[in-house]
Amino acid sequence: MTATTIEPAAGEQPAARRPRVPTLVRFLAKRIAITIGLLWGVTVVTFALVHVVPGDAATANLSEQALNDPAVVAAYRAKWGLDQPIWLQYLHYLQNLLHGDLGTSQQTGRPVLTDLVQYVPATLELAVPSMILALVIGTAVGMLAAVRHGRASDQVVRVGSLLGLSTPPFWLSLVVLYLFFYLLGVSPSGGRLSPQFAPPPSVTGMYTVDAALAGQWAAAWDAVQHLVLPVLVLTCLTVATLIRFVRSAMLEVLQQDYIRAAYAKGLPTRTVLGRHLLRAGLVPVITVSGLAFASLLSGTVLVENIFGWPGLGQYAFRSATGLDLPSILGVSLFVALVYTVVNLLVDLLYGLIDPRIRLS
Amino acid sequence: MSATPRLMRRAGIALTALALASTAAACSAGGDAGSAGGSTLTIDTSFVVKSLDPGHVYEATGNTAVHAMYDTLLTFHGSDMTKPQPDLATSYQASADAKTFTFHLRKDATFGNGDKLTADDVVFSLNRLRNLKASPSVTVANLTATKTDAYTVVVHAAKADPNVPVILTQPYTGIVNAKLVKEKGGTDGADAAKTDSAQKYLDGTSAGSGPYLLDSFDASSQLVLKANPKYWGAKPKFSRVVLRNMDVQNQKLTMSRTKGAELALDLSGTMLEGLPKTLQQSSADDTFYFLTLNADPKISKTTSNPAFVQAVRAAIDYTGVAKLFGGNASPAAGVVPPAFPGALPASEAQHQDLAKAKQLLADAGLHDPSVKLMYPSITYRGVDLGTIATKVQGDVKKAGIKLVLDPQPLTSFLNAQQSGKVAMRFSPQSLNYPVAASLVNNLAPGQGTAATTGWTVARADKAVVAAGKKVQQTLDPAAQQRALQDWQRLLNQHSPYIPMAYNSGVVVASPALSGAVYAPAGWQVDIAAVGTK
Repeated sequence: MTATTIEPAAGEQPAARRPRVPTLVRFLAKRIAITIGLLWGVTVVTFALVHVVPGDAATANLSEQALNDPAVVAAYRAKWGLDQPIWLQYLHYLQNLLHGDLGTSQQTGRPVLTDLVQYVPATLELAVPSMILALVIGTAVGMLAAVRHGRASDQVVRVGSLLGLSTPPFWLSLVVLYLFFYLLGVSPSGGRLSPQFAPPPSVTGMYTVDAALAGQWAAAWDAVQHLVLPVLVLTCLTVATLIRFVRSAMLEVLQQDYIRAAYAKGLPTRTVLGRHLLRAGLVPVITVSGLAFASLLSGTVLVENIFGWPGLGQYAFRSATGLDLPSILGVSLFVALVYTVVNLLVDLLYGLIDPRIRLS
Repeated sequence: MSATPRLMRRAGIALTALALASTAAACSAGGDAGSAGGSTLTIDTSFVVKSLDPGHVYEATGNTAVHAMYDTLLTFHGSDMTKPQPDLATSYQASADAKTFTFHLRKDATFGNGDKLTADDVVFSLNRLRNLKASPSVTVANLTATKTDAYTVVVHAAKADPNVPVILTQPYTGIVNAKLVKEKGGTDGADAAKTDSAQKYLDGTSAGSGPYLLDSFDASSQLVLKANPKYWGAKPKFSRVVLRNMDVQNQKLTMSRTKGAELALDLSGTMLEGLPKTLQQSSADDTFYFLTLNADPKISKTTSNPAFVQAVRAAIDYTGVAKLFGGNASPAAGVVPPAFPGALPASEAQHQDLAKAKQLLADAGLHDPSVKLMYPSITYRGVDLGTIATKVQGDVKKAGIKLVLDPQPLTSFLNAQQSGKVAMRFSPQSLNYPVAASLVNNLAPGQGTAATTGWTVARADKAVVAAGKKVQQTLDPAAQQRALQDWQRLLNQHSPYIPMAYNSGVVVASPALSGAVYAPAGWQVDIAAVGTK
């Protein structure tokens, strides 16, 4: 994370007094400027990369027979503007982008923005509960391991988190499917809803919420059931990272003098852990949590694929294999934006958790 | 810290409660488990679809759905590919020169919105398809449709082509409601490639006269069909069909537990192993897997040497390769798969002859030849192509040939293939439409695949060129099939293609279903024909 400093020590002279723009406003303006530059960089790099990759959209999207017909290939290239020089294609893209138009997907034939509005909520529906569960479990277990440093329970937690980190997501997905769907028969096999249910009227794009809003309680419960296994897998994968990070951060804090002093003063363990250890240890944890959440939003492709979950990961995968430039750019911009916003929120949270940290 | 803090105990209790709650949720989540109750048929498949507009559709999932929504002039039933059957056309006549085909339409066909289907709709649909210049347009590039009256359509072929009736069974020749599609921006004009804008509409609503209508379509998750209440034919058994996008491994697990009306379309080859015996399986060998050796000496002096091609051909253990595909795969005899008329009999399957391979290399003065073998690093129909390539590498090594495996991502492979600069490649191949003579259009010297293999007319054996022309010029179906067999025997002697094995698509269906037959016609399964026992 960037742009954080510790405020001046007591006694230091403040800078010369003159009317100043509030710190938060300056901070936000600077971050917005950086974000715009970053997003522009993403368009340049993505545009270049897609054109460096062997093959083009026509190769990826036309039948083999059609590829042997120059008239069909030419018609395809003309339809999608691929017959223009790359620099002109890029200028057109930027021009449209400035008007809020992310282009049309060659895979779906729909505006990329429409696609994102459909697929992002599906991924959010997985990512948000996974992140909440991972945060609660990761913080609690990480703290437990730190407090019981060197004991058997600590060893178990360390081995468990190592296992979690080294487990491939698709493998874990197949294992839980095999266990809960095939062997026990207590879970649906995949998708967002069972075949007998139609998707609820779209309000948020999240089936659980939309079905509840529409009063379709059976569909809402069915949607919740379909969430369980993919959320379980994503939680397992995220919690492993968090546990290691929390444990490490808490261990560092536990060795600080003020913690020893707190114990020496006879403060109850609950007070020491809750008021001092948790607060201080959470600062670095927030950083990794932010990154983990952004990663959940952008990198769940394998899990989404196994569970037939039509989210951003699957959309990104289809776009990449189809060399669908507008969609690839749309997803890249969205992911970059997510990382930027999450970083911003993390920086703002620092100040809330530790008042000594101020924005600069 | 020495003492166990109460906070930690509470955290432990909270965690336990959380775990129990998760388990409880999971335990009560046994909802669908593949049991599509009522009159819903569930079809599990790995989606390959971009559009449901008949003018643009060409991929597996799209073809399957479009076949259920749009009637065609003719059709095939089940896995029988011998002769097209009536659909919208009750009968047809072909001119002696195979250039004019007159179709007589049924008069009771209506579209989903109640509009009557007439010759105008057929003319519009076929001409639009040609002029869109999309993937399926290539097949009808030489066809023009006109009408003689409200229920008679004449299809003209620019070149003699006895297979026009077969082409007109394909989902992309599905007849759309011309009036409706024109209202939504469709056109059959010569500039349709630039001006037609109906695809978006047809991706969301069907405008056909088939047994099903489109209810909803999401290319990432599911495609829902509902029975067409105005369908002119026999009502389909299921009022609702859900095609679900599902990973192949998940399809296997799902079908293993299914109790309802459910079928899977992607379980083939080794994926069939371990499935419950109660499940039904239907298949037909409609794909061949072949090696292609570049005939251009500028690309490779080794692969362009006919003796080398013959040596590789003799070195391969065809039976062993077929076993790797699992299921009902068999060693290849030629390039026409057994599902189609014109295939060579199984008795002519190729055999390994290492002594002959070594002798051919020695006679040609080829010592320890080495070639790079490119293939797409994909799993196709349940088989990792890398496994097959490794087997081929091991086989030819016994004859003294070194193959360096060069797996590529699919797009890179296709791109390299199109460039014509690949020395040796391996890939699956199926027919563009269900008539074996269509392979001549693609594999003959100078044509599609041949052109990317450096196999020009000038480099080809004259007998092969003549045999290919004979296939194309023979208008009688039975005689054409004999000509096809002769052509394949010559290909085995003089072409740069080495077909190794035939493999099949498979429909796996729950025990209670009937009519779940694999269709090698291009639509995998006729959804409307699926019923219950």
